[in-house]
Amino acid sequence: MPHLRLDTLLAAVTIVLGAIGMYLLLPGSHGAAKPRQTRQAGYGLIALSLILLATFWTPPGDYLAAAFFYAFSLAALLSGVLTVTSRDPVHSALWFASVVLSTSGLFLLSGASFLAAGTIIVYAGAIIVTFLFVIMLAQSEGQAAYDRTSRAPGRSTFSCFLLLWGLLHAILMVQSPVEPVPVTHMTAVEKANRLVPTFAITKHEAVPEQTGIDAVLDRAVRPATGRIHPETPHVAGLGATLFSDHLIAVEIAGAILFAALVGAAAIATPKPPIRPGGRA
Amino acid sequence: MPFDVLANYLIVGAGLMVIGMLGFLTRRNLIVMFLSAEMMLQGVALTLIAFGRYHGTWTGQILTIMILTVAASEAAIALALILVLFKRTTSLDVSLWQSIREPGMPPVEDRPEDVEPAEIIPGPETYPRLTPAGIEPPHPEIDYTTRRD
Repeated sequence: MPHLRLDTLLAAVTIVLGAIGMYLLLPGSHGAAKPRQTRQAGYGLIALSLILLATFWTPPGDYLAAAFFYAFSLAALLSGVLTVTSRDPVHSALWFASVVLSTSGLFLLSGASFLAAGTIIVYAGAIIVTFLFVIMLAQSEGQAAYDRTSRAPGRSTFSCFLLLWGLLHAILMVQSPVEPVPVTHMTAVEKANRLVPTFAITKHEAVPEQTGIDAVLDRAVRPATGRIHPETPHVAGLGATLFSDHLIAVEIAGAILFAALVGAAAIATPKPPIRPGGRA
Repeated sequence: MPFDVLANYLIVGAGLMVIGMLGFLTRRNLIVMFLSAEMMLQGVALTLIAFGRYHGTWTGQILTIMILTVAASEAAIALALILVLFKRTTSLDVSLWQSIREPGMPPVEDRPEDVEPAEIIPGPETYPRLTPAGIEPPHPEIDYTTRRD
């Protein structure tokens, strides 16, 4: 398969160019000063690597969808690189907000409109502002020395991009998946039964009609079979499956949020120091 | 969603994940490390949503909602911890906490004399000029337009 070999070679070239570019952009391990030309070469290599990576994508759908996909993906990856390599943590936080916005665009393109809005509100709205607040609180005197040094940049870059090469190779190897059975012709219950042969799931219709809390609990403990129906493809369908099939997960998520709130309040509250001989 | 389009999203998710991991391993600022961890979560969320769309189920989006919830809780706890650590050392450097590593690791030392110099913003600091009004207050020793460093 000569085309596969070409793909693998191109992936390796992309990974090596990206790794060299990242190494040039990261601060040195002991913070040895890097000249301006080094950084420009790093940006150039990263741009080249991203362009090569874009050749692995197949344009999805029509012209407009493809244009938006390429724009959001390249923006997400480039902002990620700049988040990691910025010397100023404030710039890092702002570039991370850009990553979140681009990823939300990708969510929107893949049909997750509620999550796109939720991610923007939670991350770019709340978490980034909290980060900036902590950064402003903690850093009053410009760039610190530890922001201009990094720990083992060569070895970290090597191992991380080795992982990326493995992932990319794995994704590219699965070019033509075997379609086992046309998924649309199989109900979710049949599919789940095929996946778990020892545990036969009763069909929805076969379940005796229960009322009240028994029906809710029965649906919550059954394995989730929620498929995206054409009549409720959006937030309504997501909410319906979230609050019926995944009711227990929602309750646990609420408990986790409450525990985190209590924990953060208990940790961050200033306490009087404990001194020997002081009042207990 | 055909398989080729799924592979697009998987490649972007893998890239975000690896860039975040690189940032978490190399950077020394606690906050930048935490931002990198959040970026890894973004890559995973993108992968999950693409897989959910590919299989035509809601499960990927449900899992991403759970990730979002746990990430919000984690951000609250981590920022509280970072604030406590900052109060102890007045620094966000993770290298100051080397004493809690596993025993036997060689310590990492800084050579502050050859740290890359900070970028100096050219030009003097400028402040807006206001029209004087009212009684002239007693002047401080250092004029407020001179740079204090």
